Amino acid sequence: MIFISGLCLFALATGLAAVAPERSLRYTYLLMFVGAVFAGAGSVLAVYAPPTAICVSSIIEYIPVSFAAGPLSGFFGLVLSAIAAPVSLYSAGYCPQGRTKAVLYGLFVLSLYALFYSADAVSFIIAWEAMSIFSYFLVISHTEDQESGRAGLVYSVMTHAGTALILAAFFAAYAVTGRFDFDGMRVGLAGSPEWIRSVIFCLSFLGFGMKAAIIPLHLWLPRAHPAAPSNVSALMSGIMVKAGIYGMLLMGFYVLGANVAWWGMVILVTGIICSVLGVLYVLMEHDIKRLLAYSSVENIGIILLGMGASALFASAGMRALAGLALAAAMFHVLNHAMFKGLLFMGAGAVHKATHTRNMEEMGGLLKRMPYTGLFFLIGCVSISALPPFNGFSSEWLTFQSLILGSQTPRIYMELATLLGGAALALTGGLAAASFIKAFGIPFLGQPRSAKAENADESNRPMILAMGIAAAACLALGLFPSGVLGLISKIPLSGLDQVSKAGVYPGMATRALLSPVNVAGGFAQIQPAGILAFMLAGLAALLVFLKIFWRRPKTVYRDSWDCGMQALTPRMQYTATAFSKPVRVVFKNIYMPKKEVSTVYALKPFFVSSMAYKSQIRPFFEEFLYRPALKAFDKLAMSAKRLQSGSLQLYLGYMLLTLLAMLVLWA
Amino acid sequence: MLAKWIGLFSVIDFISAGMLVSVVAMNSLKRIDGCIKAYAANSWLLASMMGASAVYLSEPHLYAAAFYTIAVKCIGIPYVLKRVAKELKVTRETDPYVSGPVSTMASFALVGIVYSALSRGISVTGFAQNSLEVAVSIILVSLFTMMIRKKAITQVIGLLFMENGLFLAGFSLTRGMPTLVELGVLFDLFMGVLILGVFLSQIKKTFVSVDLDRLTNLKG
Repeated sequence: MIFISGLCLFALATGLAAVAPERSLRYTYLLMFVGAVFAGAGSVLAVYAPPTAICVSSIIEYIPVSFAAGPLSGFFGLVLSAIAAPVSLYSAGYCPQGRTKAVLYGLFVLSLYALFYSADAVSFIIAWEAMSIFSYFLVISHTEDQESGRAGLVYSVMTHAGTALILAAFFAAYAVTGRFDFDGMRVGLAGSPEWIRSVIFCLSFLGFGMKAAIIPLHLWLPRAHPAAPSNVSALMSGIMVKAGIYGMLLMGFYVLGANVAWWGMVILVTGIICSVLGVLYVLMEHDIKRLLAYSSVENIGIILLGMGASALFASAGMRALAGLALAAAMFHVLNHAMFKGLLFMGAGAVHKATHTRNMEEMGGLLKRMPYTGLFFLIGCVSISALPPFNGFSSEWLTFQSLILGSQTPRIYMELATLLGGAALALTGGLAAASFIKAFGIPFLGQPRSAKAENADESNRPMILAMGIAAAACLALGLFPSGVLGLISKIPLSGLDQVSKAGVYPGMATRALLSPVNVAGGFAQIQPAGILAFMLAGLAALLVFLKIFWRRPKTVYRDSWDCGMQALTPRMQYTATAFSKPVRVVFKNIYMPKKEVSTVYALKPFFVSSMAYKSQIRPFFEEFLYRPALKAFDKLAMSAKRLQSGSLQLYLGYMLLTLLAMLVLWA
Repeated sequence: MLAKWIGLFSVIDFISAGMLVSVVAMNSLKRIDGCIKAYAANSWLLASMMGASAVYLSEPHLYAAAFYTIAVKCIGIPYVLKRVAKELKVTRETDPYVSGPVSTMASFALVGIVYSALSRGISVTGFAQNSLEVAVSIILVSLFTMMIRKKAITQVIGLLFMENGLFLAGFSLTRGMPTLVELGVLFDLFMGVLILGVFLSQIKKTFVSVDLDRLTNLKG
């Protein structure tokens, strides 16, 4: 009931945005905020309540369209609300003008709600397409950008290819079971042979993987996400890519049960590739929004690591471990939504203030935008998986479940999970490095351009929204037990084991993260305790300084000046320079190209100007997509010989084909 | 009573034979005016067949379908076509790729192929068991007409004939599609004709002719 009223409120706000005067658009965003809060509360209730149908109708006979609230839907509804609420508030400050964007934004969120709550394949596909189309319009809505049209094209082509695969998976399931509703598919597919289930799994994994932007199907993401307005990028990165994860959970885990070993291997290896390569590309980006977009690829990889490990454990019959790994993955879904939403909001605030997305033109923003900087820092700390913030909790759980993979009976599972753990560790380190860059270059030091120098603090709704998201990051990090209790109610492989006493004591009751029985000698950790410890240490340090340290004479100079004077912003560490060591270490993957051109006044000593250009080669575009496109072009050119340009000849082809078919088949 | 007569005199078969004759006539006619009249005749026959089937099967929604067909295909579209032809000042097909007698012979051959091909594999039962052959023949003959003519308006007429054939096949095999679907198709068709009319006058403006072989210039 609360959920429905929240949704109605949201829909009302969307409708109002279409008719209200331009000045009052911000109030419709505020109404959306309230609606999202209610819908979130209703979603939490939906997790605990038994599955109930919301509405059932049919567009055509025999094809039902039904929506239902269940635990899995409720959880993703909660994730959506948790990010849509602050982003709606943020939008009130970020884009108070632009009616079309407001309406599209509202429809986009509503289609996501419809997607998560749909109970059968037909309504799912309708909501899925609506989501894709609204987000496509939002991507191309940024008319100031030349790139966005092209980005939109790549996005729409790839997302429709994904939808085609998903449709194929649904129809395959329908052909076997004769049912369109997911519960019916689950029952019907339980006894069917493995190859059929594998075909459906592969189709849905690839189809949903397109939306989740698994490598190498990620091509659209770093183009489309930066092209959209920042409030929409926050939603696209925070929750729309999770729609792909939701689809995988729904088809792979709920409908098919995810208990075949090689499915787990596929998911796990994809997770390894996504997380490591994703973070490597994060490091090389200097466009702040593209950087965040690639970071989504990395985090999807981390989520897939948990899911893949869960499927592996389930195939080995280890339900408790499967539950742990899956709980970690789902927890990371929520956490990533929160901190990535926060970071995109921060990036949007920076973009709005400086009118550039290039980090090399920023600098010194912390002094000009202190609140934005603080919240962006919290987002960076969370995404770098440092305690006591939320990224740490879920990545730590994922890490533990991967290490516990050593208990599996098969050697290849053991190797795969341990390799996954190593990949996660590497990813964490590189992510920390990249987000030091993402915070340090724009916010610290001196302004590198006039744009950065003239930046102003964001307006109040934006700061408030970022503050809410930052507080949520801290709260989720400190008290993970509530969310884990919520996750344990979801009927997926082994999740019910998560809170059972003896397996994970205290997980649902105390603010304690512990993968297994403490008596068994495995790790446990208490994020709140870490925070208390950190605060105590800080206090002790302050007291110590107060007593023993006499304040020397303070001289104020520019940042990173080392006491010298006349440092110019051009002498600062740049983003390119910061990532140079990684570029050298991983040069086999990046294949960097650099170009130095020098103009001499008098060779070889007097240089009048130098230009340095460095770029990395986009591996997948150059070695996967471009050859494929070239081959396709060639095929198309050879088909061109048939085309004379004469309409009558084309009609002749048709007539001949029809006649041939008539004579041969009849 | 009426239904019994319709069965007794095989009215439905007569009407479909009439439709076949009208399409063959269209194929050999050169004057645009005649082609439009042939189309109107074909549509009237289609509508009367629907009416007859409505009586024969006592399916009330077929009456409605017959009514829509009369409104759109027998009156609306021929009127628009006549106006377009007048506006474009095309009166006759000047030099088709295949001459009149040869194309008539070819259409006979096509009908023969259809009948011999369909007599083997498919067996249709029901009230309109002889309509399928007629429908497929209409489709193929009108496609052939489109193939051998140059004037754009003849192409449109051929397309409309094809649609009539499809309609005949659809409703004779299924005892009538849902009213909503039929309405949608008719609306589509009417819009299509209007748009084609606009396009034709635009083509005329651009190429000073509505001969479609000029379109070859557009090839990239």
